Amino acid sequence: MALPPDRIDYLPIIDRPVIKWPNDARVALWISPNIEHYEYLPINEGVRDPWPRTPYPDVQQYTYRDYGNRVGFWRMLEPLDKHGIRCCISLNLAVLEHFPEIAEAMIERDYDFMSHGIYNTRYLYTCTEDEEREFYRDCIDTLRRHTGKQLKGMLGPAITGTVNTPDLMAEAGLIYHTDWFHDDQPTPIKVNNGGKLVSVPYSIELNDSSVLRDNHYSAEYFADICKAQFDQLYEEGAESGRVMCIALHPFLIGQPHRIKYLEDTLDYIMAHDGVWQTTADEIAEYYIANYYDQAVAHAQRLAQ
Amino acid sequence: MPAQRTFGMDHPHHEWSPIITRPALRWPNDARVALCVVLVLEHMEWQVPEGAFQVANLSGGSAPRAFPDYARLSHREYGHRVGIFRLLDVLEKHGIPATIAMDALTADNYPYLVRHCLDRGCEIIGHGVSVSRMITSNMSEAEEREYIQSSIDSLTKATGSAPQGWSGPEYGESDRTPRLLAEAGIRYVCDWANDEQPFPMTTGDNPFFALPLLYELDDVASLAQRKVTVADYQRRLTESFDVLHKDGAANGRLLALNWRPWLVGQPFRIAAVDQALGHMMERGGVWPATGSQIIEWYQSQIT
Repeated sequence: MALPPDRIDYLPIIDRPVIKWPNDARVALWISPNIEHYEYLPINEGVRDPWPRTPYPDVQQYTYRDYGNRVGFWRMLEPLDKHGIRCCISLNLAVLEHFPEIAEAMIERDYDFMSHGIYNTRYLYTCTEDEEREFYRDCIDTLRRHTGKQLKGMLGPAITGTVNTPDLMAEAGLIYHTDWFHDDQPTPIKVNNGGKLVSVPYSIELNDSSVLRDNHYSAEYFADICKAQFDQLYEEGAESGRVMCIALHPFLIGQPHRIKYLEDTLDYIMAHDGVWQTTADEIAEYYIANYYDQAVAHAQRLAQ
Repeated sequence: MPAQRTFGMDHPHHEWSPIITRPALRWPNDARVALCVVLVLEHMEWQVPEGAFQVANLSGGSAPRAFPDYARLSHREYGHRVGIFRLLDVLEKHGIPATIAMDALTADNYPYLVRHCLDRGCEIIGHGVSVSRMITSNMSEAEEREYIQSSIDSLTKATGSAPQGWSGPEYGESDRTPRLLAEAGIRYVCDWANDEQPFPMTTGDNPFFALPLLYELDDVASLAQRKVTVADYQRRLTESFDVLHKDGAANGRLLALNWRPWLVGQPFRIAAVDQALGHMMERGGVWPATGSQIIEWYQSQIT
């Protein structure tokens, strides 16, 4: 669409280049645990209040989330390990500095990492262009220092950004942004500096934070909709490959009354052939190597 | 003006008419239920224009967030890129024609979608300028008239003909809206959720009707606001239909559904609406029709 912010060309799902995933998989499945730290005494910069319930600290809400790092994370690993899932962690990078056992557990499993900011209580809204440049440098350096890996993508911290975000991400050498929920396939994001940035579909729907915390559904329901999503995309993926993401937060899915529903979900999905269990890093690289140019050209033809 | 304690409605737009006092309405082929599915193609603007009104709990994304809200903008864009095609396929499979409520920003900026909807025989009705700009009484009469006209002009230009129907973004109206719509050449409006049959509205010289939506089954009302589960939503659709089918034996009923492709068109929701529509169509005694077809028939029956 040429409407503001004019970042994404219109490409109807029924009229675009057919995507073939490796080994003719129908669905590229990525699991994205959000490994986060929320500050005890954050700074409220006036746009969004990190702890709106009380003056800081809010011990109830702080510890509810920190439970994820102390307990929930470790429980969440059990069903993931059972299926040998290679996660793509949405990572508050300061976790690597605060909690080395978590860093080690993720590195040991060869997970991929996308930035989810430094802390989940530090938003991008008020960043100047230079501050945001410095932010990407910090994210890239911190990940490399602790894991040896090159940072490739981002889910904005607490899903925040600025109008400059895609341009500055591309300038920093990142190749994917997951704050966009407009599609079941990757799509090019236009940037002002000739870089290739793509959207890899993360999920605001199949997300335990929306489903379990914001909207108060049961974990059984979460499993039901994950399976239903998979069934539909698996059917459609026979024609052209689809992406499915399940977004997790250990303080939610790692609760004792919920964990078995993650296991149920993975048992169901992973029993299918034709699933490419992968990471956003790999999806973005594959799409850029094989479909990015075609998609741009196709959108230009449709616009004429 | 506050209500006066006298007989009938506290506004001039239509008569008081309880459903039990009306002559029986018959649909074509003695159908018991007329089924109308309205699919809403509305654009969420990146920045809300100054002075524009939005409801505080406007759905999409994780929650209304500060600018720039990539999440809500793109979540709603899903309908235009993916969800609409899934829904049109489901409707086509069941032989149900779609009524598309399309806003001006969509008509102006998505020529592919406009062509696609026309090629598939959809009726396209007015839906304001964008979901970021509701009609409310904050507008002056001149502003509201201009808003309605610009929406009609965009659709006329994009589709080649003027829309017959109207649904305001988020059901937005002032106390002048029915009259202004009628004066602009619109024949029916979907904002009034107070009946299970069409009814005439008193707007002046031109015949003008309400095509009432069943508000509780609106997808935003059910799924986004009341947080009903997908399975429960399917059950509400089929059980509502069954009651209308029973009641429609004596006096025909209307089931008008209001769906956003970005919401019910999501992969994990589509099977539920597919199965609910399948239940309705298999039952028999259903007349699937566009808004205009229903209003035309209704008008022929009451005059």
